[in-house]
Amino acid sequence: MNKLIKSLAVAGITLGAGALTASASSHREAPAIAEDQYVDNTDVYAFISPNDANKLVMVANYVPLLLPTSGPNFYKFSDSARYEIHIDNNGDAVPDIAYRWTFTSQRKNGATFLYNYGPVDTLTSPNLNVTQTYRLEKVNEKTGSTQIIMDKVPVAPWNVGKRSFANYEKVALEAVKTVNGTSSFAGPRDEPFFVDLHVFDLLGVGAGTHTTDGVNVMSLVLEVPIMELVSNGVRPAAGATTKDSVLGIYASASRPKVRFLRNDRAQDDYGGFVQVSRLGWPLVNEVLIPLQDKDKYNRSQPRNDVSNFGAYLLDPEVPKLLNGVLNLGCPATSATGRTDIVGLLSPNNTKAADLLRINITVGQDNSKSHFPNGRALTDDVTDTLLTVACNKTGLTVSDGVDANDKPFTATFPYLASPASGNP
Amino acid sequence: MNRILPLVILVAACGKSDHGTPPPPPAQKPALEHATQNDLAKEIADAERLGTWHEIEQRWQGQTLRWTVTRQRLLCSSANDCNVAAFPVQRPAKQGWMPLLTFAPGQYDALAQACDGQDQCEVTVEGILSELEVSPELPTKVVLSKVRLVPGPAGQVKMAHT
Repeated sequence: MNKLIKSLAVAGITLGAGALTASASSHREAPAIAEDQYVDNTDVYAFISPNDANKLVMVANYVPLLLPTSGPNFYKFSDSARYEIHIDNNGDAVPDIAYRWTFTSQRKNGATFLYNYGPVDTLTSPNLNVTQTYRLEKVNEKTGSTQIIMDKVPVAPWNVGKRSFANYEKVALEAVKTVNGTSSFAGPRDEPFFVDLHVFDLLGVGAGTHTTDGVNVMSLVLEVPIMELVSNGVRPAAGATTKDSVLGIYASASRPKVRFLRNDRAQDDYGGFVQVSRLGWPLVNEVLIPLQDKDKYNRSQPRNDVSNFGAYLLDPEVPKLLNGVLNLGCPATSATGRTDIVGLLSPNNTKAADLLRINITVGQDNSKSHFPNGRALTDDVTDTLLTVACNKTGLTVSDGVDANDKPFTATFPYLASPASGNP
Repeated sequence: MNRILPLVILVAACGKSDHGTPPPPPAQKPALEHATQNDLAKEIADAERLGTWHEIEQRWQGQTLRWTVTRQRLLCSSANDCNVAAFPVQRPAKQGWMPLLTFAPGQYDALAQACDGQDQCEVTVEGILSELEVSPELPTKVVLSKVRLVPGPAGQVKMAHT
């Protein structure tokens, strides 16, 4: 890939505040969610399984930029939240199916501050004091009916360090569970998103610093038979271009509407759930939506994205910043606006929305699952989106970071083992 | 929850009208037929500071409006899926919302025909602001209903509400 390394030239340049507050793909991207880390959805990936072309892999990551040495209360999922992956299978941007994770924490001994009191060589080790389990449900979003896919499934533990885990990955992979062809994993993984976060220091890229190396994230990974996701139980034939030939995927997190903090006992949560975070494409809320609407974006639904935020898509701020700071010569937005970006969000005449669309027709395989047709773990979406945003013929814009520090794995759950707190 | 119940009852009681007092007549809404999308955008921007969200909804909702907008074919591809740009592109977008249009019978086809296959077409639309949602928590939603196309002078496209 051609590199574009430009030195920073900030004299006389004033950037909008929106450029200064975000972080990575969707890590800490909006003011409200930055205060509620455990439900901050950071990235979504979707690709045809490398091991079975009849299955789709979906990854939803939460809880951004986690230091491995974060004890004694190591990171986990929130017990009071709902984590969901939603799927639109008929192109109308309205979710038809959801997979929902809900978590429950346990501890064996409350009279110690220790996460584990001795070496842990299996998930069922009596030395593992703090644990978490989850229920995975499939939701028919048209009717609201739910089906429990699996229950009381263990979450992989935190990679505390070499003294606690002589073979961490062996223990973590015990958390993989498969039921009727659907495989699930929940737990910490190496942060797969690679980027030079100096981009948010007045587009200060160029050195290609791997700023997300060595940090972890909480991952939900699902591998599902495609036939369980398609509209009306029929997988579109090879070459089909109907609206149901692509799935539209986004992840979200929701919190109970009401929380009472008690003086004399634990908090109580009441009411229905309200969505506080969502993500389909990388970097949409991060850099296309301005500060005034970032929290509103997280509360809203993809089907309304054009009505709510379409003007931002037609005239994005990014190319102006690339010109103002790096003098890249990105063309001015045309009078018709950036309908090319809208077009990328609406393949096969599906409704334009911030959904990660992936073609699931017969014959699709892992080699074709690359952004914006789904998103593979190895895809350099930062370069892709900067290049699309600039829209200058022949110019590839890069942050200088092209790959993750750790290799991804060939088998489920595909993400790399998390960084150790004591390597 | 026991502590909350009396508070709920108290609030509910305070919200009731006095018995025997006739309700005030509904206030007449001043017509906004000359108000543009820029006027609405300014009021929404002011509401961030003044908190006048409810007043905006009350005053604007139900009004018949005539706005000049831009129809991009990609974003207004059918009578059931039509958003238009309320503000010109090529300037930093100060708001993200794009009005959703629902048409009087046959009027989408008339619009498509008038735009003559162009990717972009500027039109003046007139319709009822049937839905307006503005709040500090959720995105602005603008729906113009019963939109109707009326042929204008040569070279122009006009739309009007019946």
